[in-house]
Amino acid sequence: MANSFILRAGERGHNLIPSSGLNASYVAGHPEGFITRESSFNFHEYQTGRAGFGRMRVFGDEVFFGAGCGYNMHPHHNFVICAFVLQGELTHVNTVGNIDQLHAGDYYVFSAGSGGKHAELSINGDEMHAIYIWLLPDQLLLPPSYKRAHFDAIARRNKIQELIGAADGALPVPQDFRVSRLVSDMPQKHVYHPRSTAHGVYIFVLDGELTCGEIALGRRDSAGIWGTDAIACETGAHTSDILFVETIV
Amino acid sequence: MADADQALKRLLCLGCGFLYDEALGLPEHGLAPGTRWDDVPADWVCPDCGAPKHLFEMVVIGYAAGQPQIQPAA
Ligand SMILES: [Fe+2]
Ligand SMILES: [Zn+2]
Repeated sequence: MANSFILRAGERGHNLIPSSGLNASYVAGHPEGFITRESSFNFHEYQTGRAGFGRMRVFGDEVFFGAGCGYNMHPHHNFVICAFVLQGELTHVNTVGNIDQLHAGDYYVFSAGSGGKHAELSINGDEMHAIYIWLLPDQLLLPPSYKRAHFDAIARRNKIQELIGAADGALPVPQDFRVSRLVSDMPQKHVYHPRSTAHGVYIFVLDGELTCGEIALGRRDSAGIWGTDAIACETGAHTSDILFVETIV
Repeated sequence: MADADQALKRLLCLGCGFLYDEALGLPEHGLAPGTRWDDVPADWVCPDCGAPKHLFEMVVIGYAAGQPQIQPAA
């Protein structure tokens, strides 16, 4: 018997974080630069929603506005931080030793482990859109690490592609956790198979539409479904772009 | 010492991932090893990101090999 919740796009936590005033050292960029963050789960100032889902604690839908905008170098431990770039150019700098530039389809896994700092910057003046996911690791104070990969929406269209997990070509994380993406250009039925009924799936519609049984989701809507080992869904008439985040619950 | 038999807890900052392990305390921040979370001052904040105590979550996660590098006092 499946359990579920639905989170509509407009029900998420909303923050606009300017690069001036109290946040001047936290947020990079010109004085008029700012970040918008839509949080699916409680994070920072937003604390009136869900605490998380399974091992996931943060699902942030973020946009960096203005030249040089982003997060200045700041510290982390333990959390496994994943970023999926949707638009623009993200410059990621970390204390593992990477300076990386990511564009649409690129994604990374930064495991902060025993300690790591990073900066996230949109250096040119174009908007940078990314999804940030944080998950708890299965061990504390692991050696910090960084890996990146690319999702090719054209070559992989109309199939569910595992981006994070144990599949060939996917980036591994130290947790029972997977992220998959489906870009569909026509109405199509798909079945997502969680590893077991003890796994839950957080389905987030980046673009287009998805229907899972009784649940109809539009752009930036999401749903958590758990207690089943098969989730049947159907994509909409036009381009649909979906993330499936699977976690032990 | 009514809670002396209670297992020592680990708490993770939800703002940044900073770990507070009761067994280790934070001697450099004036919290001796063995300091219970309940005994950490209410106005104490995460030394790395400034998050308040209520934004820490208790976790039951073991350490990676070789960690923690500072062993709790026997
Ligand atoms: Fe960060
Ligand atoms: Zn913190």
